[in-house]
Amino acid sequence: MTVADPVDRLLATARGEPVNEPFRVTGVMVQYYYVCKRELWFESRNLEIDRENATVVRGTRVDETAYSDKRENLHLGMISLDLLDDGRVVEVKPSSTLTEPAEMQLSYYLWYLDRVADIQRDGVLAHPRERKREPVELTTERSEKVETAIRGIHDIVSQSSPPPAEEKPFCDSCAYHDFCWC
Amino acid sequence: MDRNYHVFSDGRLERSDDTLRLVPDDDGDKQYIPIENAEAFFLHGQIDFNTRLMSFLNDRTVALHVFGWEDYYAGSVMPKRGQTSGKTVVNQVRAYEDSQHRRQLAAAIVKGSIHNMRTNVVYYNGRDHDLDSVIEDLEAAAARVDESLPIDELMGIEATAKKAYYRSFNQILPSEFQLTQREYNPPPNEINSLISFGNSLVYANCVSAIRATALDPTISYLHEPGERRYSLSLDIADLFKPVLADRVLFRLVNRNQISESDFETELGSCLLNEAGRKTYTKAFEEMLERTVEHPTLNRKVSYQYLMRLEAYKLKKHLLTGEAYDSFQRWW
Repeated sequence: MTVADPVDRLLATARGEPVNEPFRVTGVMVQYYYVCKRELWFESRNLEIDRENATVVRGTRVDETAYSDKRENLHLGMISLDLLDDGRVVEVKPSSTLTEPAEMQLSYYLWYLDRVADIQRDGVLAHPRERKREPVELTTERSEKVETAIRGIHDIVSQSSPPPAEEKPFCDSCAYHDFCWC
Repeated sequence: MDRNYHVFSDGRLERSDDTLRLVPDDDGDKQYIPIENAEAFFLHGQIDFNTRLMSFLNDRTVALHVFGWEDYYAGSVMPKRGQTSGKTVVNQVRAYEDSQHRRQLAAAIVKGSIHNMRTNVVYYNGRDHDLDSVIEDLEAAAARVDESLPIDELMGIEATAKKAYYRSFNQILPSEFQLTQREYNPPPNEINSLISFGNSLVYANCVSAIRATALDPTISYLHEPGERRYSLSLDIADLFKPVLADRVLFRLVNRNQISESDFETELGSCLLNEAGRKTYTKAFEEMLERTVEHPTLNRKVSYQYLMRLEAYKLKKHLLTGEAYDSFQRWW
């Protein structure tokens, strides 16, 4: 079956329906879509990030240690999320500097749970190092924004080459920095 | 970037709790080596090790490069690759199979290699040596490099350039240390031996650099794939030999830091002895730690990291189609 709209293709793929070209979007892809489209393209090509990168090490550490007593890891098709004991979906981030990308990543999880598994949940964006938490709800407006992002992601990853490098304030801490600019 | 450790003595390298221990054969003191900041170990002596050590090095992603008889590179024990990407390998093979693409990459490597040889000659030309004719020959060779040429002709151009380049060694170096001509297997005199040893260190460092990417080390463009050992490493090493190995050689010999007593001469062969290898590797490691301001990364990078960047550049080119410009010394 040929499905034209990337959103429908993603849903069909997630539900295990037969699709000619399966289309998958992970949470991190949504995040990268808002952070850096070149990074998104690299990620879609399974380019390994530099695990020795200081920012990556810090992020992994925060992710592994925060809320370790309460969290459960839930793998659901193309997403993998953390659920806290009150049943809310939590996305743990080391810092709150890039809010929109993290919010959209979490919104995507909520959207995915709703559309694929028919599970309605609220979300929390947690910045344990800052002792800050921020609720995220899946409103109609947010749902639409998620779907627009999915179509945008599809456009980027189906290009045969990545968008050109663009200097951004956070480039220095990116795990693809040297690969991108060398 | 982590550092390399060279082991010259004979003995046993073993895991001891959470670090490494070298137990020399001659009942000397046990030495503890911090693994935390190790990139690779270079084993020059006769070393025993066991599977426990291998697993430990594997966990810490540290490589072992082994040098055997006459200090020829014998092989590497690499950590189980942390980086894999089928797509990278597929694109690597595609570029090789597409003769136009392969020639383009091979030409870029030859161009960079000649440029880096030329930089050395120009440097010494300004220091009381008359090397104008070598520079002319190198420029003539560089001018012949063209992406449309078959690989064997590109190889030929590089060989011609190298020949001219090695002519300059006899002027740069004192009269008691002459190259006469480049020979290896085994090297017949001191300078040949130093070149061979330095080149094998550059080569092994390139093996480590390539392994940090998902590139397959056997698929190469200038050298024939798998022709000898890791041929992609030979491609990349060609760019770095003049910058690393040859500069170390000139400096050590001209400053009398290496003398005839650092060699063992036997019938038809001349090789660095342990003291000589120690002196050389020390200077070589210092060279790897030198830094230079990188034009696009906006920070200083070590000479060692330049090899890693070269592997990144090639991988980026293969995956994105963005242009590949080979490493050409810019400072």
